[in-house]
Amino acid sequence: MTTGNVLKKEKEMSKILFNAVQSGQQALSEYESKRIVAGANVPITREVMVHSRQEAVDQAVKIGFPAVLKGSSPTLTHKTEMGMIRVNLKNKQDVAQAYDELMDKGINLDGILIQEMVKGNREFVIGLTRDPQFGPCVMFGIGGIFTEALKDVSFRVAPLTDEDAREMIHEIRAVKLLDAFRGESAVDEDVLVKALVGIGELGMTHDEIAEIDINPLIVTEGKPVAVDALVILETHRA
Amino acid sequence: MEKFFDPKSVVVIGASNSSLNLGATICNMLKDYLHYTRPVYVVNSKGEMVNGCPGFSSVLDLPETPDLAVIIVAARHVPGIVKDCAKKGIKRIVIESAGFAEGGRDGAAMQCEIDEVIKANGIRIMGPNCLGTLSTRNKFCSFYGVNPSLVEMNQIFEAPGNISYTIQSGGVAVLVMESLYYDLVGINKVVSIGNKCDVDEADFIDYFQKDGTQVIGMYLENVADGRKLMEAAKRSRKPILMFKVGRTREGAMAAISHTAGMANNDLIFDSACKQSGIIRLKSINELHSLPKMFTEMPLLKGNRVAMFTNSGAFGSIAADLLVEAGLQMVPLSSQTQDKLKKAGQVFNVKNPVDIGPAPPQTYLDIFEILLSADEVDGLLPLLSVWQTFVIDTLHELLKMCKHYDKPAAIYTPNAVAKSIAIRAKHRIPIFETPEEAVRALSVSHMFNESLLKRGYIYDYAECETMDDDRTITSKMEAVL
Repeated sequence: MTTGNVLKKEKEMSKILFNAVQSGQQALSEYESKRIVAGANVPITREVMVHSRQEAVDQAVKIGFPAVLKGSSPTLTHKTEMGMIRVNLKNKQDVAQAYDELMDKGINLDGILIQEMVKGNREFVIGLTRDPQFGPCVMFGIGGIFTEALKDVSFRVAPLTDEDAREMIHEIRAVKLLDAFRGESAVDEDVLVKALVGIGELGMTHDEIAEIDINPLIVTEGKPVAVDALVILETHRA
Repeated sequence: MEKFFDPKSVVVIGASNSSLNLGATICNMLKDYLHYTRPVYVVNSKGEMVNGCPGFSSVLDLPETPDLAVIIVAARHVPGIVKDCAKKGIKRIVIESAGFAEGGRDGAAMQCEIDEVIKANGIRIMGPNCLGTLSTRNKFCSFYGVNPSLVEMNQIFEAPGNISYTIQSGGVAVLVMESLYYDLVGINKVVSIGNKCDVDEADFIDYFQKDGTQVIGMYLENVADGRKLMEAAKRSRKPILMFKVGRTREGAMAAISHTAGMANNDLIFDSACKQSGIIRLKSINELHSLPKMFTEMPLLKGNRVAMFTNSGAFGSIAADLLVEAGLQMVPLSSQTQDKLKKAGQVFNVKNPVDIGPAPPQTYLDIFEILLSADEVDGLLPLLSVWQTFVIDTLHELLKMCKHYDKPAAIYTPNAVAKSIAIRAKHRIPIFETPEEAVRALSVSHMFNESLLKRGYIYDYAECETMDDDRTITSKMEAVL
């Protein structure tokens, strides 16, 4: 990437964060969160924000089926529990119907997020937290719905070197999940290393970010892709 | 920093002749036991003399400005006294009194008052709620309540060594000092840092780089400044062995994300240690059992370990431990195995090398063969002292280790009391359990790795020179 692009990306990220803090948001929407983590070298799903049924159908065709629709709002931090996600939409009718269902929920949304449906058996998590003693720390581990039950995670204090990132990836108990697995190729570790280092940098440069939770990061054909992300803001700064 | 350990003059504020006065115990030790010849003044309400130390009723009345003030009075008087010290021009203060940040809101307010005074006057403070410093070479100690007639305390000063400790608990300091008396390494300095309102553990890591310290031991209950600690540790060329208890208070984090819920502070502390090269200890005993691996042996530069035993069982026991510790039981090359066959009386020429009843020369030959083998990075001798000559061969092993620049973590499968006695009398770095010996290899390797990662070269020659300064002392003879 050229310097110009990096600067442009940094500018976009800062703008998203600044606006959110100014308007007193406690967190970013999934869409905004993903713009932020993508800027930190985390690969994200192909996705577009839409505001009409027709737009949803048109974009779904571009992205390809099956597609996923999610209600988008900075206050929606538990989308699954709120019934604001529709997955495995196979055609235009499915998308149109799902769009209407989400809009009919009566929840204040800033749009509907339409994204590619990523399939894979392995799910990881990447996180950022602020420790009272050590400041920004990056987490890596087993993601998906069992994250908290398994507690198979590792931490590093930011900023991370590539070596720190590689070490922490190999520190989890289920490290074998990174190898070739049930006919799927091995996980591209370089992608994970870049993502972990990037998230650490984000923690160092943006004090307004309290936490980041990227879960799940689904591995498809060896490539990890962030399917959901949440950036929580330091609200007391607002 | 030096003035905390080697003051040219000192005032003990709060020492008096009333019964059970703690300040007086400091004067007694300095005068009666350490024969500290420099001026010791005391300040108390009556202005009375204590054990020959001239007494004054105020710091301001002292005939000179002491290098160091030790304050041991009720907390509420401390801010006023610190102000007097500032007026008098005193720059180093140890506050032993308790009842500050740990003692609620009033304590915290007093703490703030003190902070302002020290900042405005360029004063450095140790404590509050601490014992201060001990320096064996300077024969100085500000610890209160220590009974110098205890044989262990006595000998600590007779046999100075190169281990320095930063310890956040008086009790742990006593345990470590007493235990080292039965081991073969000595103390350079001990600091008890208490609430560390000013000088903290990171400052001492920096200080211990240039004062003859070879190994830094730390016992912490909390971290003053995590980032500062990591930076100091990354700069350290001396191994830092740290035991830490107590989790820091978790910040008020939103429970809506996984990461906050998973962010166990202890896990983060562990990661910080790994990133900065701090060796985190698993038990409090490791604070005194492991330093000798660094002072008496070269570093373990790879993870390939050869075992040598005169009792097959210990080969198996240690093999499990070795693998669990992430070290490798090196497969010996055919050349090495051929040499071992020629050594005679060898039951097993593969790792672990196992011998039956054999004469001293067989032991020496096997040490030589294993240490000189390219595939071997270090040795784990598990040798029962069934004949006194085994001790002599271990002496030779020490020399060979230096020659080949490879370490051996020696374990003698004998009664622990016997092993300890042999260690003391013959100055052989013997570990008391196979677990301890394996752990010693493991931490030696960890330190070597962390030096490589940071691009540092370990100057073993420098350490050896320091070793030579140390004479075999009466301490050891006293044990036996």
